[in-house]
Amino acid sequence: MKLNVDLTPRTEVPRWMRYGAPVFTILAALLVSSFALIALGVNPGEAYYVMFVQTLTTEFGLTNTIAKAVPLIFAGLAVYLPLKAQLWNIGAEGQLFLGAIAGTWIGLSVSLPMYALLPLMFLGGGLAGAAWVAIPALLRAKLGINEIITTLLFVFVAAQVKNYLVRGPLQSPTANFPQSSQLPAAAQLPDIPVLGYPAGILLAIVLVAVTYLVINYTRLGYEITFIGANDKAAEHAGMSKFKIYLLVLLSGGAMAGFAGVSELAGVQGRLRASFAPGYGFTAIPIALLGRNGAVQVMLAALFFAVIFVGGSSIQTLLGVPSAIVDIMQALIILFLITSEFFKQYSVAITLQEGADAGAPAKPEGEV
Amino acid sequence: MSDDEFVRMENITKTFPGVVANDDVSLSLQRGEIHGLLGENGAGKSTLMKILYGLYSADEGEIWLDGDRLDMESPQDAIDAGIGMVHQHFKLIPRLSVSENIILGKREPAAAFKPGTEGDGGLRSALTNNSLLQGLATRFTLGRDEPEAEIQQLADDYGFDLDVTASVWELGVGERQRVEILKALYRDVDLLILDEPTAVLTPTQAQRLFETLRRLTDEGLTVIIITHKLDEIKDVTDRVTVLRDGENIGTVKTSEHTSDDFARMMVGRDVLFQLEKESVSTGGSVIEVSDLHADDDRGIEAVSGVDLTINEGEIVGLAGVSGNGQKELAETLVGARDTTAGSIEVNDTDVTNSRSRKFIENGVSFVPEDRHEDGCAGTLSIMHNAAMKAYTDTEFSDGLRLNYGAMREYAETLVEEFDVRGVDDVRNINAGELSGGNLQKLILAREMLREPDLLVANQPTRGVDVGAIEFIRERLLEQRQAGTGILLLSEDLDEIFDLSDRILVIYDGQIVHETTPEAATRRRIGLKMNGAKQAEQSAKVAADGGSSDR
Repeated sequence: MKLNVDLTPRTEVPRWMRYGAPVFTILAALLVSSFALIALGVNPGEAYYVMFVQTLTTEFGLTNTIAKAVPLIFAGLAVYLPLKAQLWNIGAEGQLFLGAIAGTWIGLSVSLPMYALLPLMFLGGGLAGAAWVAIPALLRAKLGINEIITTLLFVFVAAQVKNYLVRGPLQSPTANFPQSSQLPAAAQLPDIPVLGYPAGILLAIVLVAVTYLVINYTRLGYEITFIGANDKAAEHAGMSKFKIYLLVLLSGGAMAGFAGVSELAGVQGRLRASFAPGYGFTAIPIALLGRNGAVQVMLAALFFAVIFVGGSSIQTLLGVPSAIVDIMQALIILFLITSEFFKQYSVAITLQEGADAGAPAKPEGEV
Repeated sequence: MSDDEFVRMENITKTFPGVVANDDVSLSLQRGEIHGLLGENGAGKSTLMKILYGLYSADEGEIWLDGDRLDMESPQDAIDAGIGMVHQHFKLIPRLSVSENIILGKREPAAAFKPGTEGDGGLRSALTNNSLLQGLATRFTLGRDEPEAEIQQLADDYGFDLDVTASVWELGVGERQRVEILKALYRDVDLLILDEPTAVLTPTQAQRLFETLRRLTDEGLTVIIITHKLDEIKDVTDRVTVLRDGENIGTVKTSEHTSDDFARMMVGRDVLFQLEKESVSTGGSVIEVSDLHADDDRGIEAVSGVDLTINEGEIVGLAGVSGNGQKELAETLVGARDTTAGSIEVNDTDVTNSRSRKFIENGVSFVPEDRHEDGCAGTLSIMHNAAMKAYTDTEFSDGLRLNYGAMREYAETLVEEFDVRGVDDVRNINAGELSGGNLQKLILAREMLREPDLLVANQPTRGVDVGAIEFIRERLLEQRQAGTGILLLSEDLDEIFDLSDRILVIYDGQIVHETTPEAATRRRIGLKMNGAKQAEQSAKVAADGGSSDR
């Protein structure tokens, strides 16, 4: 008896699999995480109840989830857009820093009413994020230099720029800590009237809609998709790889810049040396989970927001280390890769009897 | 005859989800024969051979080799059993050199550790003859020079024009194929499976390959050739097995049947080979190229001073051995490659070094050599691929938005007009899921229904079945009738002869010969393709017998 594993590359990914894969990924990650919870002596059912049901049913949980989701959606789009053209913007975190820096600078130095100041901050943050990715983007579009490496390395440079600024030009004159002054009220994102949820979600929803429309209904979206699918054929069709690569990376950088501004103006209120939410990196699994479309990116970002908020809840309520959230995140990435494999190959596992050596049968004659 | 039997595949059945690729197929090979495996695309030939080579395992059935039952888990088992296969899609590592690709997986100690051949000192030979040291050397060192020389020798013996120190990525498709064949030969196989080996060879080279194969079969090698080309089947095989829809239609002696018989067995109906070519009055020029120079991907000049005019309503056939600049020439003519010197005028507009979009707008269509690599986006739907050239037209786009409804209708028109099979919904089937012939039809439909002024078609019928070849050739002639100027690049000389109004021969980046199908002979073209200019001259002058017989 022998175990036979047969791998056959799929020519076609079944429809159910394309949409089922993200769901499987999440369920499998939760299932495996429950072993970690059991090891900590916590009932996984209870933990997940607190994490998901309570977070989504209480006013506090919902508000927090949306506040977290806003920068995650922006950052998710920052990775998703270039990914559509088969480019990997691994450095959204750095572009996010630059967005936050620009937002801080504008918020502290420009004195305008809120309805003018906040858009100006987002504009500045977006431009800063795009400018930060411009060098890797140009290197990729012009010379074909791998954007995965350059965008990632630019994160570390961005972190040092931020560290310098909060100890130098942007440091609060009244504080000894490496941090800027508190943003004025006009530079802080308000809540939506009546509903009371953070207003940043509105801009996030608008951008998700715009991205969705661009990808699915415009000529530009067609070109981006085509270049992502086969850049050589796209060039034969007269599409400009240079233009599209530049465009998706710069837009991605701008989205990451928005993420920085929304985190700054919506949550933190001032730029600190410790400002490093990591959303730019979480954005990668978000974009991968939601690679089928901008709306899916938003859903994936909401999911991550829930496990972040729920993670802190189980920490306070059940005494579970919030590191469990990191475990989940890591498991989600692992299962993403796994489901990617199953999408590409069909696997048949069969048990085979040992080779039976019989006499060769009569050979076939000629026809 | 069972004494001669070498390989027997018995009642092989293999199913893929939704498809029965092989349905109870039996096949028997005799030692030392060249056995043809014939069938349309999707008839199950490749699947059957992949089972024999251990790449797939059969659901049912057994394989016997030389009286032993083979239980194959992987190609390694097949290689160990002495089975070699040259695939249609090459399995080479582009970064490595030819010889490195060939010795991949074999163990060869570095020259310094080879057992002493020259008696140049007791210590050295004592060391090199030490078995422990030998074992270590075999495991941890890799000698390159010696196999390199050996492989070069092998290549030269078989008349493969190859530099074994060159990296594979530098080579053309034809040369890569030769590397694949060489790789199998180097491994001392008893059974060699060739999946469409001559698709990229010139007739002369194909003949030389066949001679080589015959020489090898005389020494006991058994060869299976998968091919679409009926005249090759006639030329080289001893027996033929025809597959249709995964079933064995029959195994017959080649000498007892005609090409027409084989075509009928394969397709299940009569196939028309003789094309009606009506005369068309040619109009003004659609493209004028003067003194064109272009580099290949390595930056080495591949096109060296080509002058070329193509007129309305004519087919110009470009014959040449793969790797003589025809791919690069074709790409420069459609704007997919930059020129380094010279000029290109399409319809009296200077488009030299313009972007490919400008060529497309000026009515240039292109059927690239590699349909998967350059011709389509395999992971996108047929709708996406159908509109690839036309999506900027006002019919589909107002500059910003894209009308997917119109694109879908357009794609359906293409599919219908060109009889692309296996498509129920153009939005749900991806281009990569189509079989080779159907994908090629889709690409041709896309390029032709735009009513181009110039069509550059590079190997339009390579690797497609006879039914599709017939269809594609007819369409090319229809397009000529409609007034399109066509540049046809093909390594199939019959195709060039059947379709062309003029024939050009390219050698080493230059047009070395121009003739018409009526005035030309195959032999002469074949000589010119191999650079016979010098040969003729040297024969005339009879001075130095240098490169005469090439």
